[in-house]
Amino acid sequence: MPEVPRFDGLRRLLRSFALRTSLGIAAAALLLSLIGAGWGWIRAETALYQELDLLLAGEAEGLIRDYQAIGPEALLDAARVSVRRDALLLILVQTADGQTLAGRIDTAPAALRGYATLRGSGEPPLRALGALLPGGINLVVAAPIAAVEDAARALAWTPLVAACGAGIVALLLGFVGARALERRLASVSDVAGLLTAGDLSRRLPQSGRRDEFDRLVMTVNAMLAKLEMLVTAQRQVTDDIAHDLRGPLQRLRQGLEEALADRTDDPALTVAISELDAVLETFSALLRIARAEAGAVTRRSLDLSALVTSVAEAYGPVADETDRPFTTDIAPGLTIDGDPALLGRMLANLLDNALSHGAGAISVSLQAGPVLTVADEGPGVPMAERDAVLKRFVRLDRSRASPGTGLGLALVKAAAQAHGGSVTLGSAWPDGRGLAVTVDWRVAA
Amino acid sequence: MRILVIEDDAATADYIARGLAQEGHTAEVARTGKDGLFLALSENFDVIVTDRMLPAPDGLTIVRALRASCVMTPVLMLTALGDVDRRVEGLDAGADDYLAKPFAFSEMYARIRALSRRPAATGAASTELIVGTLRMDLLRRVVTRSGTIVDLLPTEWRLLEYMMRHPGHVLTRTMLLEQVWDFAFDPTTNVVDVHVSRLRRKLDGPDGPTLIRTVRGAGYILDA
Repeated sequence: MPEVPRFDGLRRLLRSFALRTSLGIAAAALLLSLIGAGWGWIRAETALYQELDLLLAGEAEGLIRDYQAIGPEALLDAARVSVRRDALLLILVQTADGQTLAGRIDTAPAALRGYATLRGSGEPPLRALGALLPGGINLVVAAPIAAVEDAARALAWTPLVAACGAGIVALLLGFVGARALERRLASVSDVAGLLTAGDLSRRLPQSGRRDEFDRLVMTVNAMLAKLEMLVTAQRQVTDDIAHDLRGPLQRLRQGLEEALADRTDDPALTVAISELDAVLETFSALLRIARAEAGAVTRRSLDLSALVTSVAEAYGPVADETDRPFTTDIAPGLTIDGDPALLGRMLANLLDNALSHGAGAISVSLQAGPVLTVADEGPGVPMAERDAVLKRFVRLDRSRASPGTGLGLALVKAAAQAHGGSVTLGSAWPDGRGLAVTVDWRVAA
Repeated sequence: MRILVIEDDAATADYIARGLAQEGHTAEVARTGKDGLFLALSENFDVIVTDRMLPAPDGLTIVRALRASCVMTPVLMLTALGDVDRRVEGLDAGADDYLAKPFAFSEMYARIRALSRRPAATGAASTELIVGTLRMDLLRRVVTRSGTIVDLLPTEWRLLEYMMRHPGHVLTRTMLLEQVWDFAFDPTTNVVDVHVSRLRRKLDGPDGPTLIRTVRGAGYILDA
């Protein structure tokens, strides 16, 4: 597993399902708290104002009773007392037309009747109740509303702060959860990578917590065990066929060879041997494809650039002999984990095809990825038949007359896939002329 | 030459033994791995031919046991198992060459001949190869024919060096692909023929007699 750069890891984490979920939860918590806080603020303020108004009405009633029992002096005394100290209740006594008799409320209008909220510069905001008493006296009682507003604000802020806290906690938990999930899935995808690379004995790891992941892992592992059994069986069949048929074929060939040694001039024997060799070649090619498809390839780190260079160098003079221009563009130092014989044969098949079925210049290109392309200037393969010719025994009508097993491209495909690559047939030029076969090992992002 | 053939299939064992006898060699046949290993350890042979799949011990085990006992007789391993692609496994075990069944007798015989002339592992390597009028100076990297310097490309050099190390022996196309190009596969295209004919043109010049002969249906031979 290559080391994942930090930035990539963060970006991948941000795409993670767990983190997205917790981000959503945090956002929802914040939104709900905002709505709750706003609504709470309005409700609390209304209720507190009502409470304050009741308080003012009660105070006013008490003062009026004193006034009725004792006379104006009671009001004037109370008003003077309210000015002297930092009283909670302010009392202002005025004449009916607004002349101040005692007390002081700077922001009070002349002769206030009923409830009012008083705001003015230099004075804290006040809630006031004014009433005209019998005997031409206007009484105003007032209380600062700062306490009310503070209480309402406090009531509103509490859920907001709690929501912010909850949001942060949700985010942290989301990060932690996402990392845990990421680690758990990383172990799964590591194993899946090995499985794809052909190591079918691997199984996904279980955490032992018997959660939904473990249940999924158990199901997948059961599936993998079945798959391994089938592939092993297929491989065994392949090996059995190889062993059981090659023995008799060997004896058949021996018999023909010995008969030919006695009658060297018998053309029928020569033909029989070469026909048998053709059958054996087809047989070997089929076995090779079956093995590659079953992932039964040796794997060792090898210099793909060197391999491609040496195969291309072997073919260069062959192209030269038939006056076919031959060019190579091979990036050095590209490596791959794989089977040199199978990869060499794959490239040889592509070059054999280019020489026998293609025309004009042949080019071999190997670029970082790695991406291998063999192109020629021949008639190419019609768009509709490009998938078909990668299958076993499928040949184009025009090439039926030329020798070949019809297995060359099928082996190319099996070999490419056994090494985690893909094969595409395209045109060498944009106008559709020529054939370019590309083997691409870049893992789809 | 005295050759030990370890092969459990009677028909194949007879065929190899008869073929070798016709070429004037003595073949000792062992039908089980046990007999084969006993013979290989107790008697002297020029080459050992062993099947890979045998009643125990199998071919790989036999080669390992021989090498562990310091018996360095060249071993050609035959197999019905899979493919030439498996040859690395056989070579790693200590076999000197590997041949997949079914094979032509000429192919097997060419390989036995090539193995029998393997220089001993401890022998001092000569710095010059001489075959007839051809001289190859391995240190100065110069090839001359009758004193005239011949310019060779790296592949041609390797091809000629291998041929000069096995003069007078038939070398098959498959052997050349394996030894000169390190290819464990046969291209459909006549890659070897093209390279040999290029080398031939450079060596022979416009008038000289041909040094590398084609053996029809078998391979090439550099006459000693």
